[in-house]
Amino acid sequence: MIEISGLAKRFEVENPKKLSEQEKKDPRLKGRYFQSVRDVSFTCGKGQVLGLLGPNGAGKTTTLRMLSTALKPDSGKVLIDGDDVLANPIIARKKIGFLSSSTGLYGRLTGRENIAYFGELHGLDKKTIDARIEEMADLLDMESFLERRAENFSSGMKQKTSIARAVIHEPSLVVLDEPTTGLDIMATSTVMEFIQRLKSKGTPVIFSTHHLDEVQTLCDKVTVINQGQTVFNDSLEAFSALSGGQMHKSFLQTLALDTKETANVVNL
Amino acid sequence: MWLIFKKEFKELLRDRKTIIFMIGLPLLLFPLIFGVAMFFMSSAAEKAESKVLKYAIVGEAYAPDIANSLSQATDKFETISIASDADYATLIKNETVDFVLVIPESFNSDVLNSGQHKLQLFLNDAGLNKVLGRVSEIVDVYTDEFQQTAFSALGLNETQQTALLTPILIEKQNVADDREVWGERIGGIIPYFIFILCLQGAMAPAADLGAGEKERGTLETLLISPMDRYKLVLGKFLTICCAGIITALITVSSMAGWGIVLSQGMAIEFVAEVMAMIGIIDFVLIFLMLVPVVAVFAAVLLSLSIYARSFKEAQSYMGSLIMVIIFPVLIAMMPGVELKGGWVWVPLTNVALAMKELFKGTMDYFALFGIFISTAAIATGLLMFCIHWFNKEKVLFR
Repeated sequence: MIEISGLAKRFEVENPKKLSEQEKKDPRLKGRYFQSVRDVSFTCGKGQVLGLLGPNGAGKTTTLRMLSTALKPDSGKVLIDGDDVLANPIIARKKIGFLSSSTGLYGRLTGRENIAYFGELHGLDKKTIDARIEEMADLLDMESFLERRAENFSSGMKQKTSIARAVIHEPSLVVLDEPTTGLDIMATSTVMEFIQRLKSKGTPVIFSTHHLDEVQTLCDKVTVINQGQTVFNDSLEAFSALSGGQMHKSFLQTLALDTKETANVVNL
Repeated sequence: MWLIFKKEFKELLRDRKTIIFMIGLPLLLFPLIFGVAMFFMSSAAEKAESKVLKYAIVGEAYAPDIANSLSQATDKFETISIASDADYATLIKNETVDFVLVIPESFNSDVLNSGQHKLQLFLNDAGLNKVLGRVSEIVDVYTDEFQQTAFSALGLNETQQTALLTPILIEKQNVADDREVWGERIGGIIPYFIFILCLQGAMAPAADLGAGEKERGTLETLLISPMDRYKLVLGKFLTICCAGIITALITVSSMAGWGIVLSQGMAIEFVAEVMAMIGIIDFVLIFLMLVPVVAVFAAVLLSLSIYARSFKEAQSYMGSLIMVIIFPVLIAMMPGVELKGGWVWVPLTNVALAMKELFKGTMDYFALFGIFISTAAIATGLLMFCIHWFNKEKVLFR
C-alpha cells in the first residue's frame, strides 16, 4: 500500500531572464522559484497498477523521483506499507524498484555483472543473486546475451537487463518512469508483459506514460497531473466514463477541468 | 564502499581508452617522444659540426695565413668570392654564404705595437650553428702564435706569462656534494612531472565516474540504491586515487627503466650513482607525500565531474584545472623559493619543495609532518565538500 499526499517540490530558477514567454506565463513560477510539483496525492494498493498521466512538464518525473527518494520533497508525505519514505530513505530504497526509459547500463560490464552489482548494492548475498538471475534469465529469455558486454546490446536486450536489475531485490513497489518511451514494439511488449507479471504477483506498480492504450490494458487506477497538481485520481472505469469510453477525450477533459482559462494543451 | 570500488575498478580495467592513457602512454609514448627529440637534437648538432661552411673573406691580403688555413681545410670550409661592396646580410640571408670574415687593414703579427686586432664575423646566429667555434679553431692558432711572439719579445718566463694572462684566479671549492647539486637541478622538474602525470591518470576515470554516470543514465539508479551517499563517494574517490597513483608509479618506473636502457656506458653508472645516493626511505617519503596530493586531485576532479552535465563538459573543466595546478608547482621551481617560512604552508608548492629537498638530501624531517598533515587536512576538507556536493539535488539533476 502506497500513500502519497500533498507532495510539493520547487526548484530555484538560475536565471529568470532566460525563460521563454510561455514559461513566464506558467502559474507555477513564483519569483525566483519554479514550483514544479504543487500538490500531488494518490494511493495505490496491493496488486494494483497505477497509471500516471499528464502533459510534458506537468511534474510526473519529479513526482516519481520524489517517490523513489532521488529528490527530497519540500512538503507532503510518502508512505510505503506504513514506512515514512522521507524519514527513512534507506529502508524505502530497499522496497522500491525503479526504472526509467533513460536508465542506462554500465557498458563495460556484462549483463550479468550489471544485474549482480545492483544486487550487491542491495546487500544480497552471491547465492541469492545467482539464483534470481537464473530465474529472471528464464522468464525474460536473456541467456543468450547475459555474458556479453552491455555496450553492444540492442534496445530490447538493454530493457530486459534493466528490468532484471530493477527487481533483483524483489521490491514491494515498482516505479517506472515512461518505461516505453523510445522503445521499439518488441521491447515495449517486454515491458508490458513485465508489468502484467508484477501485477499477477501482487506487487503494486506505478508508471508514467504518454500512451493511453497502455493505460487501458494494464491500469486499475489513473492519476492525471497538470501543472504540478493532481487533477484526476480515480479508477480506470471512472476515467473512461468521463467521455463515454474514449480515453483521449477523457484525458483532455481532466486537463480542462483545471485550466479552462489557459487551455493551451500543447505537447500532446 | 569496497563493493563500489571493486566494480568501478573492474570497469576501469576493461576500458581500453583509460588503459591506454594510464599505462600505454607513459610506458611507450613518453620514452618514444624523449628518444625522438634526443635523436633530432644530436643529429642537428652533428650536422652543424660536419657541414661544409661556405664563406667569403674580405681583406684576405692582410692575413694570408688565416685565409690559407681556411681554404686548405676543404672538408670544412668552401670559399665563395664576393664583390667587395656586397651587402653581407643579404648574401647570408639568401644562403650564398654561411659567414663573412672581415680582416682589418692593420692586421699584423706584431701585437705589441699594433694593439688588439678586431676581426668581424658576419653570420646568422639565430639557429643552431657552430660557425664561431669552427672559425675560432682556425684563428686561435694565430692568437697563440702572436702571444708567444710577444712574450718572447718581452723576455718573460713561463710563470710570468701565466700570471700576465690571468693575474688573479678564483678557485671555486664546492662544499655541496654531488647529490645536492643534482638534486637542485632535477629536483624541481621531477615533482612537476609527477603531479601532472597523477592528474592526467586520474582525469579519465574521474570523468567516467561522475559525468559519465550522468550521461549513461546510471546515476539515478545508483542514487536510489540503499547505499549511503558517502560510501558511494568514497568508493569512487578511492578508484580515482588508485588510478592516479598507478599512473604515476608506472610513469616514473618506465622513465627510470627506459633511461637505463637508452643511456649506455658511463651514463648507467651515473644513474646508478644518483639512485644509490637517494635512499629507499626518501623514495618512500616521496611516495607518502604524494598520497594526500593525489587525494586532493581526486576530490577536486570528482566534484567537477559530478557537477558537469556531460563527459565533454567534465573534460573542459578538468582541462582548466591543469593550469591551476601547474602554477603552485612552477613557483616551487623558481630560484629563491625554499622550504622556509610562509612557503611551508602553501599547498602543493610545499610538497613540490619537500620533494626537491628529499632529492637533495637536505630535508628538515620535522617540516615533513607539517606538510603531510596540512595536505591531508586539505584533502579531507575537499572530500567532505565532495560528499556534500553529492547530496545536492542542484548538482545531481542539473
